[in-house]
Amino acid sequence: MNALMIKGLLFAAVLIAATIYVVKSMNIDLSDPINIITIIGAIAIAGLTVGVAIKYINQMKTDTSGGKLADENWDGIGEYLNELPSGWAYSWLGTAIWAMWYMISGYPVNAFSQIGQYNEEVKAYNTKFEAVHKNADTATLQQMGESIFLVQCAPCHGTTGDGLSGKAHDFTTRMSKAQVLDVIEKGSNQLGYPMGAMPPMMATGQDAEDIAAYVAGGMKGEQPAAFAACASCHGADGKGMNGMAANIADYDEALITNVVKNGKKGALGTMPAFHDRMTPVQIKALATYIKTLKG
Amino acid sequence: MQSNAALEYDYSVAKLFTYTTILFGFLGMLIGTLIAAQLAFPELNYLLGEYGTFSRLRPVHTNTVIFGFTVSGVFATFYYVGQRVLKVSMAESKFLMFIGKLHFWLYFIGALLATISLLLGYSQSKEYAQYEWPIDVVIVVIWVLWGVSVFGLIGIRREKALYISIWYYIATFLGIAMLYLFNNMAVPTYFVSGGLGNIMHSVSMYSGTNDALVQWWYGHNAVAFGFTVPIVAMIYYFLPKESGQAIYSYKLSLLSFWGLMFIYLWAGSHHLLWSTVPDWMQTMGSVFSVVLILPSWGSAINMLLTMKGEWNQLTENPLIKFMVLASTFYMLSTLEGPIQAIKSVNAIAHFTDWIPGHVHDGVLGWVVFMIMAGLFHMAPRMFKREIYSKKLLEAQFWLQTTAVVLYFTSMWIAGITQGMMWRAVDEYGNLMYSFIDTVTVLHPYYAIRALSGVLYLVGFLMFAYNMYKTMTSSRELSEEPQFRSPMA
Amino acid sequence: MFHWLEKNPFFFAVGVFLVIAFAGLIEILPNFAEASRPVVGLKPYTVLELAGKEVYKKDACIACHSQLIRPFKAETDRYGQYSLSGEYAYDRPFLWGSKRTGPDLHRIGNYRTTDWHENHMWDPKSVVPESIMPAYKHQFTNIADLETAYAEAVTVKKVFNTPYDTPNGVKLGTWDEAKAAALDEAKKITADMKNQNVKDAVAAGNIPEIVALIAYLNRLK
Ligand code: HEC
Ligand code: HEC
Ligand code: HEC
Ligand code: HEM
Ligand code: HEM
Ligand SMILES: [Ca+2]
Ligand SMILES: [Ca+2]
Ligand SMILES: [Cu+2]
Repeated sequence: MNALMIKGLLFAAVLIAATIYVVKSMNIDLSDPINIITIIGAIAIAGLTVGVAIKYINQMKTDTSGGKLADENWDGIGEYLNELPSGWAYSWLGTAIWAMWYMISGYPVNAFSQIGQYNEEVKAYNTKFEAVHKNADTATLQQMGESIFLVQCAPCHGTTGDGLSGKAHDFTTRMSKAQVLDVIEKGSNQLGYPMGAMPPMMATGQDAEDIAAYVAGGMKGEQPAAFAACASCHGADGKGMNGMAANIADYDEALITNVVKNGKKGALGTMPAFHDRMTPVQIKALATYIKTLKG
Repeated sequence: MQSNAALEYDYSVAKLFTYTTILFGFLGMLIGTLIAAQLAFPELNYLLGEYGTFSRLRPVHTNTVIFGFTVSGVFATFYYVGQRVLKVSMAESKFLMFIGKLHFWLYFIGALLATISLLLGYSQSKEYAQYEWPIDVVIVVIWVLWGVSVFGLIGIRREKALYISIWYYIATFLGIAMLYLFNNMAVPTYFVSGGLGNIMHSVSMYSGTNDALVQWWYGHNAVAFGFTVPIVAMIYYFLPKESGQAIYSYKLSLLSFWGLMFIYLWAGSHHLLWSTVPDWMQTMGSVFSVVLILPSWGSAINMLLTMKGEWNQLTENPLIKFMVLASTFYMLSTLEGPIQAIKSVNAIAHFTDWIPGHVHDGVLGWVVFMIMAGLFHMAPRMFKREIYSKKLLEAQFWLQTTAVVLYFTSMWIAGITQGMMWRAVDEYGNLMYSFIDTVTVLHPYYAIRALSGVLYLVGFLMFAYNMYKTMTSSRELSEEPQFRSPMA
Repeated sequence: MFHWLEKNPFFFAVGVFLVIAFAGLIEILPNFAEASRPVVGLKPYTVLELAGKEVYKKDACIACHSQLIRPFKAETDRYGQYSLSGEYAYDRPFLWGSKRTGPDLHRIGNYRTTDWHENHMWDPKSVVPESIMPAYKHQFTNIADLETAYAEAVTVKKVFNTPYDTPNGVKLGTWDEAKAAALDEAKKITADMKNQNVKDAVAAGNIPEIVALIAYLNRLK
């Protein structure tokens, strides 16, 4: 090995090491076969290119050209009749054999189905995480909920759940006065509670103002008399009578489940429905996490 | 006519295309550098109002470097190399002279209109085929004119057997002609609807998955027949000519050529892995991509072996340096591409920055290096002056080499990281990273890439300046150099 | 044989052409017979949605966004059900893209809303503080080209038999009818928007690009 070779391979090694370092620092699981094959592929790219190129560049130093020249000559350019480099020819054969394997056994052209493979991936996933999910305690659920929230909900609610200055619901309090007033005025019939619809205009004028201020204030202090109109459904404590109507005092699982499944259109804007994109465990995790945001 | 008499070749068309190569190369890479900077520093999106966003400029970048710079370079070298290896001067045929000039001027006007149309937002939104139908028509005419030049020159040639470079130029002509026509098939809505709406607008002839298939049958091979085949044509002429060495092996040239032609076209579906095209087609794309390594490496190895025993040329002649490094980058990208085409690897690589990384190994390290080396070789012969400055050439070489290495290492790391982050799940099986996490982590790599763009662009300006001085004010030559290009 | 070809350019060119045309014949043509069938229930784009797709093409969102969800758990978790061939039957051109500088958008209509898009397109950093996506404020003033979108719908109906004007389907009608329908559709969208200039423009019968774009994005499901 001479200096050129060493420098070249060193470069390739540094590149690979840097890649693995960065990937590792992002907590990537390098036992995932896809990740592993990719890393091997990357090593092959850097190593083979550098190795082979330098082998030939070395020959510029050490070898001499020669061979039988062809008769033709174009603008002063001649052509030797040398044989094929054997490494090249055998590699061609090698890739052809690999190709056969890939078509017959790796991804058989007559049988492989990417959707079939996907179904198996999902099945394997479900078995792997079933246990974790079944026995999840509150702390686990909360962590799980946070990571789901950051991926799925943060683009609207913000990474801290503060609703990005009124662009979506602010989870650091329960509701703003404007939101409550809006519901009182318009009623609501979209979340899917057993109680069904909440009629509009249950309270008006100063009554509505008082109620809204009370609810937005976290239902502390003296309860306005007009709140009786609400208590019949939401309970005197505002907790929604065990899931019959919305809990307006706190976040609970019923509320999060109903909103995530059905979406919600309100004073601030529209929250999309996630239909079946969340599993019950994930929703429970979200609820557990969101409850902690109010502080 | 005496077939051995020294010929006075006519380089007027080659010169014209040389100018546009430099012009479009500069513009294209300037925009490339700007869009690279925009990803690192998004405020730069607002320099030119709605015409200056990353998204509006990206196709301007790709089209200017492909159809402006690269294609100009292909034409320039063809009008130079073609005459010489066919041993016939354009001056011998008034007709071909006329076609050549017409070819150039139509090309130049077409290129300007095309660029303006993209800036205004006229786009078919198919990669590398964005130009709307009126521009496509102009492009077809330009291509036909080039075909007339190619086959016209061949028709009046004195050299009976075609040199390897000519094989590759012919293949370039045929490949692009076939692919471009099929992929750009579209119905102009103005005429069908009886004169409603914008006359530039059209709808693609194919829809959905079929459109994707045709697009990437084209897209992959636009790369093949735009960034590979004609560049191989160049290296097969310029490297042996500049070095005075005979090509290492005819057999290797032959197998590489026909192997490349046959295999290239099958590989397009590697752009559609895990998409909705049938599974068997995807597998074919993967398989043929890997086999493709060999015919690609065949040409590169043939070139490296041609330089066997010529170490001193490598150290003394910067043009040889450019070409040897170009071969090496060609090897890098034609190994990297096939590996990215393996299904498991593509599951990560696709959609990430590793792909633009792969792209720019090829284009910056191979295409641009080869075109610049070719033009440098041509300049003393076309302008009858020596190359203005060897020092500048050396400096340019090291600057641009550094730039390419920075570009591809940063995008390599960025792409692999991002691809793996998208897949990562936490201990509970939920996605570990939000999308924006996978964007912010790329910032340092985007910044390095922008820096590499600046370095590369400065290198290109050094090239342009050196060429300009060579054309106008360096020492005149009394006779044409046979092999090595003289430089001060 | 090869050396003979090298001396006979015509046959050489024919040879090259045959060799390169071969793969296309085998790989691509057969698929045309099957791959363009729409999934059940798929409706063609409305004129307003087509105008929005034109904005998407004009501002080249495809430079950063894909519309293809691959069948991996990590992708279906992030973006929803993997994409099916038949969902793209009316896409001319297909807009799968090849780079995800931003997220996939094939089902964006499921999990983002009109008001969110309004905020985001005006200033992406207002909702995603670290976003590197450009703001597209000009879409709030530029007027969408409905007439060209209508011309496109007429063209695909005539030339490719795209099923417009079918019972329970998308009605196209005359240009005036189509324009009126697009305005109705636009008003429903602006009802969820805050930008007063946009609302005024629609009320006055001009549809800004942003409204058409949102119609298109909401339709991606
Ligand atoms: C007839 C029963 C009923 C009465 C009376 C009633 N509500 Fe409701 N309320 C509901 C139901 C049911 C819901 C859930 C509605 C839905 O599904 O959209 C609800 C929802 C709400 C919400 C929205 C909760 C959320 O998080 O989105 C608020 C706020 C609210 N009620 C406040 C009030 C106030 C204040 C009053 C009195 C003025 C009141 N409600 C009276 C049944 C009632
Ligand atoms: C496209 C934006 C968007 C996304 C994504 C989003 N939300 Fe929302 N969400 C909103 C908006 C806007 C509101 C406020 C609706 C209103 O009351 O005006 C809201 C309201 C809510 C509410 C109702 C609070 C209440 O008391 O009424 C809950 C609960 C909620 N979101 C949970 C979530 C969760 C959990 C996720 C992620 C799985 C999520 N959201 C994703 C936009 C979004
Ligand atoms: C420079 C790259 C870039 C361009 C160009 C771009 N985007 Fe984005 N886009 C992003 C990034 C990065 C994100 C993720 C961060 C965010 O939400 O802003 C994103 C997010 C989005 C989202 C939200 C997707 C989600 O799942 O949260 C939508 C919708 C969107 N872009 C639409 C568009 C449209 C429409 C255009 C063209 C008019 C466009 N984008 C142009 C980079 C870009
Ligand atoms: C100064 C040098 C250059 C810089 C800084 C540069 C930068 C860029 C950037 C930032 C992109 C967009 C990548 C993305 O979307 O993530 C891009 C794309 C591209 N560039 Fe360049 N570029 C340069 C030179 C060139 C040259 C010389 C060519 C061709 C001859 C070229 C061909 C391309 C192509 C084909 C793409 C599209 C890649 C894809 O879609 O995957 N670039 N370039
Ligand atoms: C054996 C040869 C090659 C093979 C098999 C190959 C393979 C690939 C693959 C698999 C992709 C990525 C597709 C994706 O997942 O998005 C790709 C992209 C690309 N390659 Fe190569 N590559 C080869 C050589 C080259 C060379 C030499 C160049 C340029 C000089 C090049 C230019 C490009 C470009 C421009 C793209 C981007 C296409 C896009 O816009 O998405 N390739 N190639
Ligand atoms: Ca076109
Ligand atoms: Ca691309
Ligand atoms: Cu390709």
